[in-house]
Amino acid sequence: MKKRKYPKDEIITFKSANEMPPLAVSLGSMRWNKTGSWRYIRPIYENKTPPCDEACPAGEDVEGVQYLCEQGKFEDAWKLILEEHPFPGVQGRVCYHPCEEACNRGHYDEAISIHAVERFVGDYGLNHGLIPPRLSQERGHKKSEKIAIIGAGPAGLVCAYHLARMGYTPLVLEAHPVPGGILRVGIPSYRLPKDILEAEIEHIIKMGVDIQTDSRVDRDLLLKDLKDFNAIYVATGAHESRNLNVPGEDASGVMSGLQFLIDLNLGKKIAIGKKVAVIGGGNTAMDTARSVLRLGSEVVVVYRRSRAEMPAIPAEVEEAEHEGIPIHFLATPIRVITDQERVVQMECVKMELGEPDESGRRRPVPVEGSNFIMDVETVFTAIGESPQLSFLTEDIQTEWGSIVVSDHGETSKKGIFAGGDAVDQPRTVAHAIGSGKVAAIAIDTFLRGKDTAKIAASVQIGQKGSVSMERYLRGEIRYNASKVVRFEDINLAYFEHKDRVDLPRADIEKAKQSFVEVNSGLPESAVTTESGRCFNCGVCNMCENCWVFCPDISISRKTDAFGYDIDYDHCKGCGICVEECPREAMSLEEEQK
Amino acid sequence: MRFQIPEHELMGPGHVACPGCGAAQAMRYVLKALGEKTIVVLPACCWSIIAGPFPYSSLQVPLYHTAFETAGAAASGIKAGLEIQGDTDTTVLAWAGDGGTFDIGIQALSGAAERNDDILYVCYDNEAYMNTGIQRSSATPWGAWTTTTPVRHFKNRPKKDIMMVMAAHKIPYAATATVAFPDDLVAKVQKAKTIHGTRFLHILSPCPPGWKIPSEIAIRLARLAIETKIFPLYEIENGEKYTITRQPDGVPVIEYLKFQGRFKHLTKSQMDDIQDMVEKEWENLLSKTERSH
Repeated sequence: MKKRKYPKDEIITFKSANEMPPLAVSLGSMRWNKTGSWRYIRPIYENKTPPCDEACPAGEDVEGVQYLCEQGKFEDAWKLILEEHPFPGVQGRVCYHPCEEACNRGHYDEAISIHAVERFVGDYGLNHGLIPPRLSQERGHKKSEKIAIIGAGPAGLVCAYHLARMGYTPLVLEAHPVPGGILRVGIPSYRLPKDILEAEIEHIIKMGVDIQTDSRVDRDLLLKDLKDFNAIYVATGAHESRNLNVPGEDASGVMSGLQFLIDLNLGKKIAIGKKVAVIGGGNTAMDTARSVLRLGSEVVVVYRRSRAEMPAIPAEVEEAEHEGIPIHFLATPIRVITDQERVVQMECVKMELGEPDESGRRRPVPVEGSNFIMDVETVFTAIGESPQLSFLTEDIQTEWGSIVVSDHGETSKKGIFAGGDAVDQPRTVAHAIGSGKVAAIAIDTFLRGKDTAKIAASVQIGQKGSVSMERYLRGEIRYNASKVVRFEDINLAYFEHKDRVDLPRADIEKAKQSFVEVNSGLPESAVTTESGRCFNCGVCNMCENCWVFCPDISISRKTDAFGYDIDYDHCKGCGICVEECPREAMSLEEEQK
Repeated sequence: MRFQIPEHELMGPGHVACPGCGAAQAMRYVLKALGEKTIVVLPACCWSIIAGPFPYSSLQVPLYHTAFETAGAAASGIKAGLEIQGDTDTTVLAWAGDGGTFDIGIQALSGAAERNDDILYVCYDNEAYMNTGIQRSSATPWGAWTTTTPVRHFKNRPKKDIMMVMAAHKIPYAATATVAFPDDLVAKVQKAKTIHGTRFLHILSPCPPGWKIPSEIAIRLARLAIETKIFPLYEIENGEKYTITRQPDGVPVIEYLKFQGRFKHLTKSQMDDIQDMVEKEWENLLSKTERSH
């Protein structure tokens, strides 16, 4: 017999019996057999939006942060947050963390402690002196347009941060003697220590943002000094306390809760009585009450609805109660009783909940004859704040006391943008940060003459209006689908039940005597454990299930990048990889004929 | 949770198993665990076809096709041949389906096991003669439809307890496994590899056409077979020492049955009967486990 070489992976043809082996023995592999032609559906790798990312008004890559933290890559995690905003240390303390509400793991056992992880990452960045990630020379080259930002609160500073990254040199005008807005003058230091905030603002200043404090903008200044600016961003917040509209309200001893917090945070001396009532159920009310407690007075909160309707972050309410602050639900003041123009008592009436009002919450209705009298020396009002907009020119449209803006933060006047608490959106730091990002994108596209709406749509995360700055600036597509992963999409066979790690509880007796931060953070080991609980919904983390379960040996790891390749020559389209993917990072597509 | 199965592939693509075939996955894992020094002995079964026609093979180890009833005998002979040549470290792997194990090949298997010949016998069990068109075997479970047990005369005898049969031979190692738990499967093969004598591995292998299931849920069903206790994962050492290797979640059997066309005709009370049978078998297994420890 003639010795003959046979092709290893191709079809073997015998031209004569001489070429055949003496026994029926295999001479090559089956690789020539392109079983891919059997397929009518094809598996693809398609990352999707995790529900936490969609729920984050600040547009953080929450899942990405968990993924990095699990591996102990805290520096990378910090930089990933900094792609979206410069405030992880702040947000890890004050955010109302809707991400945890949305977390799919919450349907399985308990949501990931995303808030506590963010705080750790924020502190890690500050403790290690990390610097914000830079953009490429091309993307971040110096630009000459002049941009003014009115208000150095979270919205204004985030907008300035991103514009500075893009190469602009924005000028930020701040009315108060210190930057930070409500973060600096509204939130007490036991919730947000000043040094954390200052350090994070320092990052923004170092990027070339010029913040001019003690510069309140009035109409004159707006019309004259800011006339030749190419774009203006109005982020002046909401600092006007609403009135109680009850007799005696003008008496000495009735004050705005927010003004009290501002004075306190700016180090002014404030005289308050021994018995204090705080009216309202929002965060300002909680902050005011807890601050009063720390000044050594007796304090009670009076709120006209029930606990379920309170707009404050539930954790804040819980902590206030934990510190022993009584909350008088379903009651409202109807008269302030004075003696020589000083508050001595307050007459209240009990309320009951009626039909839902326009906010969807049940409307409180007074119960006739239920009046009662409280002895008080100081009354703080904290029933809501509205923006102070008298400096705006008439061509900037307002409605119900807020500036009217498009989905991209554009006002009715070309070149003027607005965001944060000055526009009609939920009054949270996270929303302010989100609107600062949206405005930065809108200002950049406006100044570069690009189609804002089209670009804004391409950087959406899920369906709730959050945007990815990373995608805008780096063109990296974090999620190539608007699809959001639901709990039903998770393959639970690959996850074991594990308890959530929570922030350690503070010593209340000690905490309520000072303005030192109440909660301590998580230790590093707890952070890696906790982020290891993350389902990583919709995002491939190379768990290998697709590779392990492929019956057709058609999946291989990429040699030069993250992820896998599918050998479509041989994949039969059984769909097992998609089904066994624990996190819905794969999809099936109909095969094109 | 991440699987830790060996990297090296000894099986290639292009094989002709149906989409979602559990037998293809089983072969891939077993070869990964055994490594290159392996000879596969293959009686008539799905795998006679899957491997590919002459002059091809989708395996990168020698593969010997043999007659339906001869897996045990052929493997014994090949092992004897290797030993005469002084090769003691090549594993001879008899790889047969449930037909070639439970029915047609049981005499050769029993002979090899009784002699305690040094072979690893794997039965990949898809619970019927799938290759020839889904005829009943003695591994077909109670209540299942096959082409020879049509719906009106569905199989009304329980699945043969092949593990008990093998335990009765007092062979050093017998174990069950399935493709949904590759770590468990690989660990058992690796353990078997270190033992001399007849080793028997019973691998439940979902068959999408034969079980009448969509291919993508094949792994899910293999997992449910374990979690419902229909197919517990355990080992028997020396015919006596029973060890359960995975505690089932105890999912009701209906969760396993309802996805499969071959059980579609069953009434609620018939499914309850299956649940009772499963509980009884599980109790049996538990008491054997307790007695042997």
